[in-house]
Amino acid sequence: MTVRQNITGAEALLLSLLEEGADTIFGYPGGAIIPIYDKLYGYSDRIRHILTRHEQGAVHAAQGFARATGRVGVCIATSGPGATNLITGIADAMADSTPLVCVTAQVAASMLGSDAFQEADIISMTIPITKWNFQITKAEEVPSAIARAFYIARSGRPGPVVIDFAKSAQVETIADFRYTPCNGLRSYHPVPQLSRDAIAEAARLINDSERPIMLVGQGVKIAGAEQALIRLAEKACIPMASTLMGLSAVPSSHPLYVGKLGMHGNIAPNDMTERSDLVIAVGMRFSDRVTGDVKRYAPLAKVVHIDIDSAEIGKNVRVDAGVLADAGEALEALLPLVEQKKRPEWLGYAKERYDHEYDIVIKHTLSPDKGYLSMGEVVNEVADRFGGDAVIVTDVGQQQMFASRYSRFNHSRSFITSGGLGTMGFGLPAAIGAKIGVPDKEVVLLVGDGGLQMTIQELGTIMQSDIPVKIVVLNNSFLGMVRQWQEIFYEKRYSFTELADPDFTTVAKAYRIDARRVDTYEGLKEAVKEMKESKKAYLLEVVVKKEENVFPMIPAGGSVTETLLSV
Amino acid sequence: MEQNQEYIVTAFTENQIGVLNRITAIYLRRKINIESLRVSESSVKGISMFIISSITTEQVMARVVKQIKKIIEVFDAEYYTADDLITQEVALYKISKSIFENGGGFEMVNKYPGTRVLEMNGDYVVVEMTGTRNEVELLYKELKGSGALEQFSRSGSVVLHRESIEEKLNMFI
Repeated sequence: MTVRQNITGAEALLLSLLEEGADTIFGYPGGAIIPIYDKLYGYSDRIRHILTRHEQGAVHAAQGFARATGRVGVCIATSGPGATNLITGIADAMADSTPLVCVTAQVAASMLGSDAFQEADIISMTIPITKWNFQITKAEEVPSAIARAFYIARSGRPGPVVIDFAKSAQVETIADFRYTPCNGLRSYHPVPQLSRDAIAEAARLINDSERPIMLVGQGVKIAGAEQALIRLAEKACIPMASTLMGLSAVPSSHPLYVGKLGMHGNIAPNDMTERSDLVIAVGMRFSDRVTGDVKRYAPLAKVVHIDIDSAEIGKNVRVDAGVLADAGEALEALLPLVEQKKRPEWLGYAKERYDHEYDIVIKHTLSPDKGYLSMGEVVNEVADRFGGDAVIVTDVGQQQMFASRYSRFNHSRSFITSGGLGTMGFGLPAAIGAKIGVPDKEVVLLVGDGGLQMTIQELGTIMQSDIPVKIVVLNNSFLGMVRQWQEIFYEKRYSFTELADPDFTTVAKAYRIDARRVDTYEGLKEAVKEMKESKKAYLLEVVVKKEENVFPMIPAGGSVTETLLSV
Repeated sequence: MEQNQEYIVTAFTENQIGVLNRITAIYLRRKINIESLRVSESSVKGISMFIISSITTEQVMARVVKQIKKIIEVFDAEYYTADDLITQEVALYKISKSIFENGGGFEMVNKYPGTRVLEMNGDYVVVEMTGTRNEVELLYKELKGSGALEQFSRSGSVVLHRESIEEKLNMFI
């Protein structure tokens, strides 16, 4: 336990962060946060601060860091506009259960509510998008507030916490600083007691099922339950399908892994859900992008739903056995109760549906002699070259869907994307944060020309802090996913989706980042190789087909039977 | 289609800044109007009791309550219909003197058990009523119809659970 006498609130914050193991923070200075930056100046040997180019960049970087490492991401910003610039990332972290502690400065306590310069009521603004928030107006509140912030952010279903820190409290002296980590709160019980009855019922349903399918969500990664999940799947011979957020929890090459679910998912897991007599959902929330029309979702199946958040069980789909628990604990408890099975017919169906998808979608997408570059082909080339060992970060839109369809993963936590909120501009700063978090791994960003321009200023962060991120810009000069919807559902009325783009390689070079532009298959192969061999940051712009669509596609609110395979 | 009806949520929380806003934000997000809201200290020191009345479907109410329970400072929350709870309201009616002059005013008020006169002067009479939400509204309508109601104010529901809540609360602390 750290004990210090007569330190300021600002220094108490830095000591508290160190107590929580937070040695890396992302931030941007401003007036009200100067006292914290002033102390940070003397802590640069213990705390690595990454200066971003915008507060949104800081919060997305903290998210990327958290998602790659499983640790709490930390970002700091000044009051007013600094704080409001964090909001998109906080909302994104809430939707995707990402543990964050965001420290915002605030005007002096005596000025609160007076519309003081750079005052924003960030506590009120972030209520619906935080797991918890708290305003520090006295220096003595710092250690307990930070202890609670980290405990709440990482425990149970993780989420973002905002700590709003009045400037007056930053400069106030604490006579006696003592740090005690928070291990519990009387009103908050993040890990529910596992119900033996619920487990027994779930095991019975599994043992009675003929065509079960396991839906793997991000909760599996958060719980560190990947191995428990795979052991259960192997014992009872249950095919595993992943949500977008669950990708990489199960290695792509696992014989029981059948692909990604949902709107742009693989045919096998979607058709299997349609035929299945038992859906076992683990740490996922039946998003509308997974279910389509909930009334027609999994029509023949009973549903076992394992989740740590009771508000998720029964929220979107009917549940026959709800297991309120940590995913790892529940899966470990199920393992001895499930019977060993073989299901050759059911696996044969999975194989048949994969072959079907290969014949009608994948083969063509990956064929080098079709006269244009597909985004899928670029993703596949990256997957071939990096061998499933890279951390793949995406932005939002078509490249995200192609990345989720054609990437391959050997390790958990190697796919980082904005799932629930669907935040364009997430990719570049999240990739920066991921690379800082796992420096020994290759981090490859797949980003569109639209999304890149939303946070392109973060190339400056890469330059200043020398962060060797590999950036692949899939440039179709369109906001591709919106354009796809306009093509299919709005009679090709391309209303404001075509972009006049800058020369991205010139922009990159202005930031002293190596860059190359290719528009042929041969060029692509060679450039991806060069990118992999580079030890520095690298931007590869790939000119892809302008009007390519992501298929298969289940239209929003539709069902599997309405899957589109072409326009 | 599920029926809309009045539901009363009771929630026990830490007595801390921001809890009220977090709870009402859950209603706001789903565009559910709050008909009445009371917050006060429960029988256990430091623990607040919320009583929130709103009109919605049971399915929505159940989901709202689950989301309220997720708030860090919330110990527990449940929803009820008015019949499930012992509920009373206090209402104050400021009534113009004129209808009391021929005795009609007292006749009207005295029909209702739980009424009493709080104040009387040359201009008006103030009557208090303690009763169910329905009784409070019946007297309101009658006085309003007579044209003599000058002001009206009500507390919103005060509720007691039929089961012992103290035992439950003691489990939390």
